[in-house]
Amino acid sequence: MRIYVTGYGVISSIGENVEETLLALKSEKTGIKQGRKPYTERFKVGEISWTNQELIERFGLTQNASRTALLGMIAAKEAFGEHELSSEVRTGLISGTSVGGMDVSEIAYKDYLKDESDDLNVYKNHSSGTTSEQIAQELGIRGYVNTISTACSSAANSIMLGARMLLSGQLDRVVVGGTDGLSQFTIAGFRSLMIFDEEWCRPFDETRKGINLGEGAAFLVLETEETMRKTGKKPLAVLSGWANASDAYHQTASSPEGYGATLAMKSALKVARLNPADIDYINAHGTATPNNDLSESHGIKTVFGSSVPPFSSTKSYTGHTLAASGGIEAVFAILALNKGILLPNLNFGQAIEETGLIPVKNYSEGHEIKHILSNSFGFGGNNSSIILSAV
Amino acid sequence: MYFIQHIESITHQNSFQKENIWDELKPLTAENQLISPDYKNYIPVAALRRLSTILRMGITASKACQEKVPNEFDSISVGTALGCLTDTEKFLVTINTVSGDVLSPTAFIQSTHNTISGQISLDLKNHAYNMTHTQNALSFEVALKDGLLCIDEGKKSVLVGAADEAIPFLERLRGSLILTHLPFTSGATFAVLSGEKGNSIAFVQACEVYFSTKSQETLVTLINQFLDANNCSSGDLDLILEARSDFRFLAKNHISFTDYTGFYQSASAFALHMANDWLIGNADDKRILIVNNLESNKLGLTLINRNEVEA
Repeated sequence: MRIYVTGYGVISSIGENVEETLLALKSEKTGIKQGRKPYTERFKVGEISWTNQELIERFGLTQNASRTALLGMIAAKEAFGEHELSSEVRTGLISGTSVGGMDVSEIAYKDYLKDESDDLNVYKNHSSGTTSEQIAQELGIRGYVNTISTACSSAANSIMLGARMLLSGQLDRVVVGGTDGLSQFTIAGFRSLMIFDEEWCRPFDETRKGINLGEGAAFLVLETEETMRKTGKKPLAVLSGWANASDAYHQTASSPEGYGATLAMKSALKVARLNPADIDYINAHGTATPNNDLSESHGIKTVFGSSVPPFSSTKSYTGHTLAASGGIEAVFAILALNKGILLPNLNFGQAIEETGLIPVKNYSEGHEIKHILSNSFGFGGNNSSIILSAV
Repeated sequence: MYFIQHIESITHQNSFQKENIWDELKPLTAENQLISPDYKNYIPVAALRRLSTILRMGITASKACQEKVPNEFDSISVGTALGCLTDTEKFLVTINTVSGDVLSPTAFIQSTHNTISGQISLDLKNHAYNMTHTQNALSFEVALKDGLLCIDEGKKSVLVGAADEAIPFLERLRGSLILTHLPFTSGATFAVLSGEKGNSIAFVQACEVYFSTKSQETLVTLINQFLDANNCSSGDLDLILEARSDFRFLAKNHISFTDYTGFYQSASAFALHMANDWLIGNADDKRILIVNNLESNKLGLTLINRNEVEA
């Protein structure tokens, strides 16, 4: 049984829907800028310029919620688009998030520390599970809701779980993806790890220093063939492979040889019944930290040997959007499949000496792309790969 | 069928490494503290100092499970409703009080929900499927459902579990956001499930989750539909373990598991332990339903059966 993608939606610093996103990708225009919030102004970040209140008004949202939930609602609404709810099509929602409603609860908590004047009502938006329930409510989905929280691989794992739920017959259709709003908590967290690059991030570059954080959300609608007969939807892509493996090396660092990454990529190929040579493009995790990119490069070389397909990290466009990244990059992959484009790894100058791998440097069209591998690796050693294929 | 090979809990009850937890279970009072095992037996002292309660509980319960089963886990699926609250709060305090550029990253690193499952894989050197689910009061059920699905897909030794920890801050939300008279508590329960019978005495027959539930009547209908789909009816139930006490009328025995767990949103994981051990101690009983109605707008149902006696 094949799993089809029949809808997609995305919001990030490079665009607030799929169309704008494609335009930004084409024009090689990054969304990363000097931050504009008190806690981001010292950093280069992929911020979405609207405030929470502006997001609610601009996108006609019915709930006041955390930034994570609001961004999720916007992308999920675009993905669900013209899909209709019906009792014949059991529909679920699986969303990934790392911080849930932290962007609003941290503000209340600051008031608590100051003089206990915090508005307790704000905390109802805090739990990660609640952000997904709010997104489901915005779409009118009343069935299965679940939230995956595996840091930066959350959206990829949501996509994977959704596919498995469809294959096992527990759902007929599922909205899957991830969302994370920027918060002071996250900015301070990555600052404490000292893995920010004060300049624009340079994935897979010898001189890379670290990440730029970003925010955003992206969702896909997955259906089986049988469901599509009921819904009459046209497939945009096939979700052909997925896998999750544990690096079990360190709390935050990846193993130098990319063991977990290798396992995830190999297992995803196996699920898709594809050989490494079938992959036409890799959308790498490529956070631009010295550790990740070296480890991932080794993993890619282990899996693909001397014939590494074109690859790039698009985090140079969006920044690292954490739990949303696997979803956003899945949308990029679907665009690449359907438009025959290769997406560039912006800001690349010089290959990592140890591996010599050179990513895609410029946007180009006219390629025949059948299969794309997309990597998402999270803290805690949570490594996931998915494969999207042309219909 | 998903056989329960082994199950361990660290809670406010004397529940860790017991033959039958019912030997010592007592309804909780606000005075009952978390009963911590000697964590040093499971975690090196140097590491222990850095680990919060939820991580200590999760690692220790998982390792105690791994010791009791022959095979390495080929899937680890963990549920947590609020995750690592102690480290989350610690880091929130840090970013609001510490000035300057150097912040300790430990609390941040250990604040994410997947620290529990990640730390388990790290400590067990386990490279298998590793997932963290968080869905408020159904966090355990969604993790359990993933574990059951892994068995359907051919995995042999599946670790499923849930953990949550209480922090004093929760008291501020009592009566407004959290409506309960129960004490806020901490707990972790981990179970090894397998498609093979092994040394188990009971199996999980099915687990289902429902959202947007409203009236009591809807819940009764859902319960009956669930039982019907699993070829039984409420008359076949020997015990209902329920978060509240709304469904006393459905089975001959009824226990509110929250009387024993206190309030944490993944407490229904401990109800699975209660169900398994109830069947150890009550030889005539066969079938137990766990009704997780801790939160009013959602429902989790888990059906536990005693293994058939082989002729």
